[in-house]
Amino acid sequence: MANLKDIRDRIKSVKSIQKVTKAMKMVSAAKMRRAQERMEQARPYSQSLEEVIHHILPDVDREIFSLLDVREIKRKAYVIVAADRGLSGSFNANILKAAQNEIDTFGKENVDLFCIGKKARDYFKRREYTIIESHVDFWSDMEFDSAMKIGRSIVDHFVSGKVDEIHVLYNYFISVGQQKVKSEVLLPLSYDEKESSISDRLYEPSKEILVKSLIPRHLNVQMWKYLLESYASEQAARMMAMENATTNAQDMIKDLTLQFNKARQAAITTEMLEIVSGAEALSD
Amino acid sequence: MNVFQLEIVTPTSLLDQGKISYLRCPGLDGSFGIMHNHREGIIALGVGEIKVETNGKVKWLATSGGFVEISQNRVKMLLETVEASKNIDTKRAEEALKRAKNRRVGSNKNIDEARRDIALLRAVNRLKISKK
Repeated sequence: MANLKDIRDRIKSVKSIQKVTKAMKMVSAAKMRRAQERMEQARPYSQSLEEVIHHILPDVDREIFSLLDVREIKRKAYVIVAADRGLSGSFNANILKAAQNEIDTFGKENVDLFCIGKKARDYFKRREYTIIESHVDFWSDMEFDSAMKIGRSIVDHFVSGKVDEIHVLYNYFISVGQQKVKSEVLLPLSYDEKESSISDRLYEPSKEILVKSLIPRHLNVQMWKYLLESYASEQAARMMAMENATTNAQDMIKDLTLQFNKARQAAITTEMLEIVSGAEALSD
Repeated sequence: MNVFQLEIVTPTSLLDQGKISYLRCPGLDGSFGIMHNHREGIIALGVGEIKVETNGKVKWLATSGGFVEISQNRVKMLLETVEASKNIDTKRAEEALKRAKNRRVGSNKNIDEARRDIALLRAVNRLKISKK
């Protein structure tokens, strides 16, 4: 049986770890709530934007916009949204594995990567994938501007014809306990060709110019959505992981305390036995 | 008084302005007004000022563009950014103006110039409205 001092030290270290995990859980919970709020705020804008685009798109000629251009797919780009930090359960592992699977089925040599988050960058760098750009260290002060900045270079990559399709992989926030890896096609934009419902509408300056200014906005919002979803998921995943860690630490402390008490009692018993047998030896 | 509903939506917020009587927006080729029973439509907006009139009270807002969707006496403005005149940080706007003026035009002349001009326009616009 381990000696008393060892057990006492272990209990101490487990307790201090538990303090850290508890604090991390609280921090993640606060951050997650903020991200969720932002997601809700962004929703009306993206929905209205989508509606408007739906209304106009059937009436315009697809071919005049490079962003709507459907080409034969020879080369793809993947945007992978992971996190900067670990300690968030299987959050990073899931998305990176899914991304690698998807990329490898298409062929690693024909894929360009945009990595968002340190974990994604490091993972694919180590495996020697073609990384065009990576964005790290912006999560804590993430603003709509960051989404615009990231979006711009990705869109440029498509418009200049370097790739024929852009996919985005990110963690979709279902609930605190559940996140799902989602893969979506960002470009070329696809819309089901519906009849526009209101025909007698005024469009100014013209539908073409409107679409031209709407689509970049739509992409920015899309990007913003991906970042928010992923951030909320990351924080949720971390919160759950830390919650588990805290409970595990609690269990460990319980076990160790039991062990400690047993050891203490054993020590007392031995000591008493020694005293008693010593006394008996003397009296004989 | 004939009124209509106004909603201002941005990527980070939703501002319900309630019933208003008159709205003036910066269109791409000049300002235009919207009143009760305006024809339905979608109109793109540029950098400029928005005037909102409610019961004779006037409110000024600065925007960097977006568009406005008009349907039966409901107007929805989708704007990239919007700031009420009293909330504008003049110091920041002045700094942005200075920065835009001194911005160097690099190798990508057309894009850099366009970006500089738009930054300049935005800063001037915000300063102007902050004084209202």
